[in-house]
Amino acid sequence: MPLVDYQTEMERCSQCTYCEWIPFDQMKSWRFAKGCPSISYNRFLSYSARGRLGVALSLLKGRSTYTDKVLDIVYKCQTCGSCDVSCKVCRYNLEPLETILQLRATLVEDGQVLPQHTEVINSLSKEHNTMLKPKAERGKWAEGLDVKRLTTDKAEVVFHAGCHYSYDEELQKVARTAVTLLKNAGVDIGIMGEEEGCCGGRVFQMGYREEFTRSAESNIEAWTKAGVKKVVTSCSDCYYAFKRLYPNRVGSNFEVLHTVEYIDQLIKEGKLKLTKTIPMTITYHDPCHLGRQGEPYLPWDGKEKKIRNQIVVYEPRKPRYNGAWGIYDPPRDVLKSIPGIELVEMERIREYAWCCGAGGGVREAYPEFSNWTATERIEEAKTTGAEAIVSACPWCERNFIDAINTMGDGMKVFDVVELVQQAI
Amino acid sequence: MALLREQYQALEDIVGPDYISDDPALLDSYSYPMVATSNHLGPFYGVYTPQGAAVVLPGSTEEVQAIVKICNKYRIKYKACASFWSGMGFPSFDNVLQLDMRRMDRILEIDEKNMFAIIEPRVIAATLQAEAMKVGLNTHIAGSGTSCSILASATGYAGFGPSGLFMGSHGDNMLGLEWVMPNGDLMRTGTLGSGIGWFYGEGPGPSVRALARGGMGTMGTMGVSTKCAVKLYPWPGPTHIPVEGTIPAYQAMLPDNFRVYTLAFSTWQGWADAAYRIWDTGIGYAAHRQFNMFGRDLKFGMIKVLTDPTKTLGDIDEILEDPEAQKITKEMQRDFQFVLVGMTPRDIEWQDKALDKILADTGGWKVEVMKDDPVLRNWSLLYFLKMGHKNLNMVYTGSYDGCFGGFGGPPDRGIKCVEEAAKFKKDWEDTYDTIVAAGGDCMMGSIGGSGGGGGVTWECFTCWDPYDKKSSEGAFEFHEATYKYAAEHNMGSGMERRFAHARGSDGYALPREQIRKLFSASPMSSIYRYQQKIKEVFNPNDLGDAYYSTLDEPKK
Repeated sequence: MPLVDYQTEMERCSQCTYCEWIPFDQMKSWRFAKGCPSISYNRFLSYSARGRLGVALSLLKGRSTYTDKVLDIVYKCQTCGSCDVSCKVCRYNLEPLETILQLRATLVEDGQVLPQHTEVINSLSKEHNTMLKPKAERGKWAEGLDVKRLTTDKAEVVFHAGCHYSYDEELQKVARTAVTLLKNAGVDIGIMGEEEGCCGGRVFQMGYREEFTRSAESNIEAWTKAGVKKVVTSCSDCYYAFKRLYPNRVGSNFEVLHTVEYIDQLIKEGKLKLTKTIPMTITYHDPCHLGRQGEPYLPWDGKEKKIRNQIVVYEPRKPRYNGAWGIYDPPRDVLKSIPGIELVEMERIREYAWCCGAGGGVREAYPEFSNWTATERIEEAKTTGAEAIVSACPWCERNFIDAINTMGDGMKVFDVVELVQQAI
Repeated sequence: MALLREQYQALEDIVGPDYISDDPALLDSYSYPMVATSNHLGPFYGVYTPQGAAVVLPGSTEEVQAIVKICNKYRIKYKACASFWSGMGFPSFDNVLQLDMRRMDRILEIDEKNMFAIIEPRVIAATLQAEAMKVGLNTHIAGSGTSCSILASATGYAGFGPSGLFMGSHGDNMLGLEWVMPNGDLMRTGTLGSGIGWFYGEGPGPSVRALARGGMGTMGTMGVSTKCAVKLYPWPGPTHIPVEGTIPAYQAMLPDNFRVYTLAFSTWQGWADAAYRIWDTGIGYAAHRQFNMFGRDLKFGMIKVLTDPTKTLGDIDEILEDPEAQKITKEMQRDFQFVLVGMTPRDIEWQDKALDKILADTGGWKVEVMKDDPVLRNWSLLYFLKMGHKNLNMVYTGSYDGCFGGFGGPPDRGIKCVEEAAKFKKDWEDTYDTIVAAGGDCMMGSIGGSGGGGGVTWECFTCWDPYDKKSSEGAFEFHEATYKYAAEHNMGSGMERRFAHARGSDGYALPREQIRKLFSASPMSSIYRYQQKIKEVFNPNDLGDAYYSTLDEPKK
């Protein structure tokens, strides 16, 4: 849909600035009241969803043109979706996040791109990953791992490591552990190894729609060829791409699970038993793309209509993505089932969790802002008394590790599966 | 026209390059669509408030003073705004320097013993409330909702709202004030000016609260208020409100000393008598005819939508097909919501007993489903204690305004007009398709908070589609008609034209001649002459905006 089709969103925005904050009903302190990292860091109103809609309208109406400031406003945002959740507490006929993503796509179409993002796109085209690494090294994370290679074997389930787990040497153990846990629990699982491609989710967030589609089609083709029925990933960004973007934009029918959902199922079915005690107080960080953006895709092909003269509704009934049905309980249930673990919650959790700072191409283009966002989260985690922050996404984990190093703090960072492994 | 390079540089030298911009697209995001809402001027389709010359974000009182002095030096008009919720906060002239106050967002102190807080401009009600509750205190929240600045409400406007019944309005609650005057000098009012603390807004010390606030608040047009103290009130609850439920149907899980009711009445006279009696008896924490803003015909349907996370606006009609829903909708025809908070178990029992007696005497009752259904009850309670869903004003379309309402004040007066006004709106809804058909009576407003004595404010909510030219222009016609009808039928003007004197259909301030004509004919024109004198002394370079109402009649 071209940007002009989102003019309804821009003109129906009620200018309330709820998009800056977490939902007011959930506010517990001055310190952790903000929801949007972008305006919290950049301060100008223009860096909120409301402000971006205003900028988009200004561009559409030809009242302004592309400037460095406009690019800064458009790209200096993790597209974490906090604005979308807070907006929709009261608005039932607005889609701020979708509009922001389309604004980015429009800039990309118009050649208004950031050099750091161009670098990522070049890497994706040539090396099939967003990490600026050689394709030939993609399968190294699984070296020596006794698991089926679906380029030659068949399996019901494919484990998709994603770019980050494939190349981040410090975090690769998470992917290895996840595969081992699932395999040992009897899951018929395999990997694509060196032939695995990027999910395309991150470049979609950056505004590169064609590149996303190419990645998606390539993955779907490979999985189909391997006879896969179910896709499992430990990366929340990939999860969001497979769960929400693929069926919507490319068309795919694979069952998609995040590792934490699968492990939760296995624990509840008695196929995984956690017996070892881990005496640790932890807090859990909800990744944006597993939580508020991790809601299942519901097909909708309809149009706007008005009832009672002017009330704006949709025919047929349009799915309402507001974070209500994201993946929040499975990771918490898994963690609570580990003996000795005490799970303490931060102030901003679930659909109104603060972002880790890595998303939307921000880590690549604005490392200081990305690091600041992660630091804010670590500061919040520290107020709980937890000794570790646990998450379910390599982007979050990497950003937290880097922030903690910058801060010189001693907080530990774990993925859920690491603690599960320790408890077996 | 942008600022001259020299002017821009002078401002940049104050705040640094990160906190000033004159990028055209950025400036457009700081303009206000006059087709939206709450500025009570239109709607005017496709019209925006004038683009500012630049936006600057000061971080301290000293920076504000320096900015204002630069503005005086170069004769640049300026306007400060903290939360940008309403059209009042935006310039009505070209080349205005916009001060976005969001960097000044600190709660400087909560004086638990003396029950007040010292705050900066960008402290919104939600953040102050969150901190106050930690020490057993609470703040009043203006009807504009918890996203709005408390300081702006206290210094720039009136600050009425549901909790005014118990806590008064922000205008009443302001204590000491730190005010950067229009020439850039600093004024500290009341006890603050004597160096003995923030606890009193008048003497000993400069008793200039009325000068600093003006008749109805200065709306950011007479200098810049940089800090103030506001009164806080008792909160006999936990350090934060425990919340359960799936978004957006959050619910407050509070002990039994917190109760919320929807009260309904068989007659409007009973409704008014109850409002008086509640005030006289001294019970209640908040009172508002709130959910009627969705309309007499739709309110229960909307309550069901909002309390069920699986529902959307498109479900209203189906919900209202249920005979039980129809029965409740009818039952709630003459209603308001009422929150009781007991400071002790005996207190809550006494308050509830007193309420029952008032209802028995006035022919009222507690609507059962709103009391007995835990989801509806706890959602309502959270709604009133937090005021975090205020943007539901715009839920239907993205826009609203409150028409009629000039009959606010003593409840007896309002009830004489409400049905007539409702019928006028209902007939319009049935005749034209430009505004939402919600049942005519969409009157909402606070009870007991406006001037005491059970005083009531009324706004008949009207919603139109700001994206739709025909709807927006139809809403304008409707507001013109309501304004005329109200004047002809002795109802007084409502919110829909509250600031018609400040800004015209092009988004700019009205010409002086037109303002003179309007204010000279006003029954209380002396207040505008008085404010003109104040302006001449305090703001000699006339660097404010149009919302500070003055009458500068030509000398005879």
